[in-house]
Amino acid sequence: MTESEKKIKVTRKTRPKIGVYVCHCGINIAGVVDVYALKDYALTLPDVVLAREYKFMCSDNGQNLIKEDIEAGLINRVVVAACSPRMHEPTFRLVCKEAGLNQFLFEQANIREHATWVNMNDTEGAYQIAQDHIRMAVAKARTLLPLEVQKVSVEPSCLIIGGGIAGMNSAIDLAKEGYKVYLVERTPTIGGHMAQLDKTFPTMDCSACIITPRMVDVAREKNIELLTYSEVVDVAGYVGNFEVTIMKKPHYVDQEACTGCGACVEPCPVSVGNEFELGLAPRKAIYIPFPQAVPGEYTIDMESCIQCGICARPDVCEPDAIRYDDKPEYLKVKVGTIIIATGWDPYDPTPLKQYGYGRYPNVITAFQMERLLSSYGPVLGKPVRPSDLKAPHSIAFLQCVGSRYFREGGNKYCSRVCCMYATKQARQYKEKHPESEVYIFYIDIRAFGRGYEEFYESASENYGINYIRGRIGEVWEDKDHNIVIRAEDTLIQTPIELTVDLFILSIGLEAVADADKISSLLSVQRSEDGFFMEAHPKLRPVDTLTDGIFIAGVAQGPKDIPDTVAQAKGAASSAAALMAQGEVEIEPYYAVVLDHLCSGCRTCQSLCPFGAIDFDEFKKIAVVNSALCKGCGTCVSACPSGAMVQNHFTNIQLDSIINIAVKQPTVKNGQ
Amino acid sequence: MVNKVSEQKDWRYAFFLGCVIPNRYPMIERSIRDVFEELGAELLDMPGASCCPAPGVFRGFHIPTWFVIAARNIAIAEDLGVSLITGCNGCYGTLRDAWWDLEHNSEEKKHVNKLLAKVGKKYTGNFEPKHVMQALYLDMGKEYVRGFIKHKFKDLKVAVHYGCHIVKPSDKRPWDGEYENPTFLDEIVELTGATSIDYKEKFMCCGAGGAVRTAVKEVAADFTREKLVNMREAGADIIINCCPFCHLQLDLGQVEVNNFYKDIIGEPFHIPVIYITQLLGVAMGMDPSRLGLVKNHNLKGVSPFIPIQPFLDIVKEQLI
Repeated sequence: MTESEKKIKVTRKTRPKIGVYVCHCGINIAGVVDVYALKDYALTLPDVVLAREYKFMCSDNGQNLIKEDIEAGLINRVVVAACSPRMHEPTFRLVCKEAGLNQFLFEQANIREHATWVNMNDTEGAYQIAQDHIRMAVAKARTLLPLEVQKVSVEPSCLIIGGGIAGMNSAIDLAKEGYKVYLVERTPTIGGHMAQLDKTFPTMDCSACIITPRMVDVAREKNIELLTYSEVVDVAGYVGNFEVTIMKKPHYVDQEACTGCGACVEPCPVSVGNEFELGLAPRKAIYIPFPQAVPGEYTIDMESCIQCGICARPDVCEPDAIRYDDKPEYLKVKVGTIIIATGWDPYDPTPLKQYGYGRYPNVITAFQMERLLSSYGPVLGKPVRPSDLKAPHSIAFLQCVGSRYFREGGNKYCSRVCCMYATKQARQYKEKHPESEVYIFYIDIRAFGRGYEEFYESASENYGINYIRGRIGEVWEDKDHNIVIRAEDTLIQTPIELTVDLFILSIGLEAVADADKISSLLSVQRSEDGFFMEAHPKLRPVDTLTDGIFIAGVAQGPKDIPDTVAQAKGAASSAAALMAQGEVEIEPYYAVVLDHLCSGCRTCQSLCPFGAIDFDEFKKIAVVNSALCKGCGTCVSACPSGAMVQNHFTNIQLDSIINIAVKQPTVKNGQ
Repeated sequence: MVNKVSEQKDWRYAFFLGCVIPNRYPMIERSIRDVFEELGAELLDMPGASCCPAPGVFRGFHIPTWFVIAARNIAIAEDLGVSLITGCNGCYGTLRDAWWDLEHNSEEKKHVNKLLAKVGKKYTGNFEPKHVMQALYLDMGKEYVRGFIKHKFKDLKVAVHYGCHIVKPSDKRPWDGEYENPTFLDEIVELTGATSIDYKEKFMCCGAGGAVRTAVKEVAADFTREKLVNMREAGADIIINCCPFCHLQLDLGQVEVNNFYKDIIGEPFHIPVIYITQLLGVAMGMDPSRLGLVKNHNLKGVSPFIPIQPFLDIVKEQLI
């Protein structure tokens, strides 16, 4: 039987026959409230013709209960009292649809998050709240009207924000599948933080050797339009049809003309700290971030440039590429999907004054150590300590700096990579200086990945790295700028004092500083820890709650390189799955104009934040572009004639909920 | 220049003395009263105030009792319509913690009031208990206090000691979560022109707290020894603190360290120990002897145990 054959006709005049299904949700609901009593209560409500309870309404058997009742013609509206609609509204809508009932004749009462979870210790209160929710859902269900979903086409192109290892991998996968990719990166080069790393754990591959060929692949891929030194400034539209405005920041060097010869660098008189080297080495005002940068053309940092004109001289820049009057360019592109791969910022340990970062020269972050260890870093892979530029004999790492920290100034989460990178750096230093003493102070070592435990074991077994379980209370600098550490070795329960030449803070990973800007630009949510939030922690780890927008890499939470790449490929796959369908259904929650009531005052048109309302000059009435309308309801509340109706949230529907909620208020203990 | 009169607020506090100040260092009370009067703040007496009660002794054994006694003391200040102020970190620890905890625990607050009703008292929690440092640094502000400094000390190296209860637990304290490296005491000290020196283990305990002094004096003195060694290494002329119990441990404790550890410390210690308002008082032009900085040589077994004279010698020329 095809769907169309068994469609149940429901109109405004059809008498509502509501079925109420109370879910136990295991013990999540049934463990707190009496679900059988709730079922009986539902039967007392108007137009409810049947009520059932079941252990898991979302299970196959639970779904079949509803399906059978619909197919038997017993009901023509469905209310499920269970979890949040965020969780299972799509599930139950599909049940209705499969049984031949319009999917918008379904309403979900959230008695788990709103009642039993929050009132676990107040069963009576939880029961009354659950009653309220069921009563309100039934009231709305009585007034529901069938709606038709709209289908819109999906543009076969993707915007990827962030050109680190995550963004690059998503970009390559999508490009190979034939989709157009706009890869936007705000620095002058792709590569991200991985390009700054020296080696990767546990295999000790050279990070640059892995990533630089990948960077070149990205630049060569014809389906990828690489937009470095650019930022996304505006995102409009909706799933399948995003309109994105990208600002290409001025390089002040003609990128077409520049040959990347580097003749301008030597004569430039301005030196500033190199961001790529984390301030450990200088760069000139005209620069490329590092020799293997992609693209390899130069950029002038106008904040530091004094416009002396030397680089523009014909004997310096033969191709005549310098453009001091360069202006930002704005580019508008249309994409079907967006992947957020904005990565992370290193935690700044300055506020943790007890560790002396920023106060004592020989306290550095492990991220800086990475550059010191790097063969193409500021000291060519021969680490020295900042105070006297001598190779330190003894070094100590402190783990969990700013991570697993429940007081002000830190992050609560584990950053997941620090145990391993500290172990890796410790091994690297031991390889270079076998006679050195290396200590790692830790809370517990988290070696969870493939080959990690073996790597850690070998570090203490074969390399003689001293792991000391205990946090460092505070550090102090002696007159030779050595760092005196005060700590407790909690395994032997003894306070220790240790003097080392170099003290390294294993800092954690944080959400990027302007994550809130990205979040509001794209209407995606962030978790409490500041990272972007996935749609479901288990089942939809690369989706966001905004259709058509995906997340990849550390933007979603701290992870190591293998996990980042895996997620990036996952995000690319999810985006491709959406684009491969060619069209997507969007919920019909748009506003509609009642032509006979509209007086043509155009109030709504001026208020609509999405430009979704046009004016029909012939009929002199407002017209809603349903594809652009986001269903915010601004026009509905503003319309002086009551001519605007918001599908699925009509005044009649909302009033019926409010009336029933207010007329029979829950009274508990006289409060 | 700050206009003293127009800037002046209604600074009225109920002065909670505690036990160590009246019993061991009455000159600390004198200096607090004099300095606050000069700054235009009014200190009200608290009739019937009892022990705070001591955080280690009472809270360690029976928290409800500790709550009730603390609430009773705070209620006396509430009856006067002002915040309570104390010069002691221990009293501050008890009163501030009890106030904070009761503000976050309405059940306990109800219970406390039920018991207080028996003695005709009522606790509301409307006035937060404060420390002398809090009044100086947060209520008045250092720019205001600066306006009263008459003598600027040159070449005076001060080892500042904070003590623990004034900064911890950080969430119950008013210092914006700063507890590992606070600077408010250093900033007030430096108003006098003195230099607050950085020394090793600056935020280490004086040794007395947690009933260690009472139970095992040698262990307490071992802590104090370590602090004193670090202060001497950094070249401290004097020690400044804001807690009478730390004051006692650093003052009388110095004598004990000189006895217990004479074999390992080399030279005995003679670093004058001065309470913050005593230093401020001198800088504000008050008579050092009224502030308790000059001691009759005939007096034995009476504080201060380490002579203050070296300090007066350093600043003498600058006072004239």
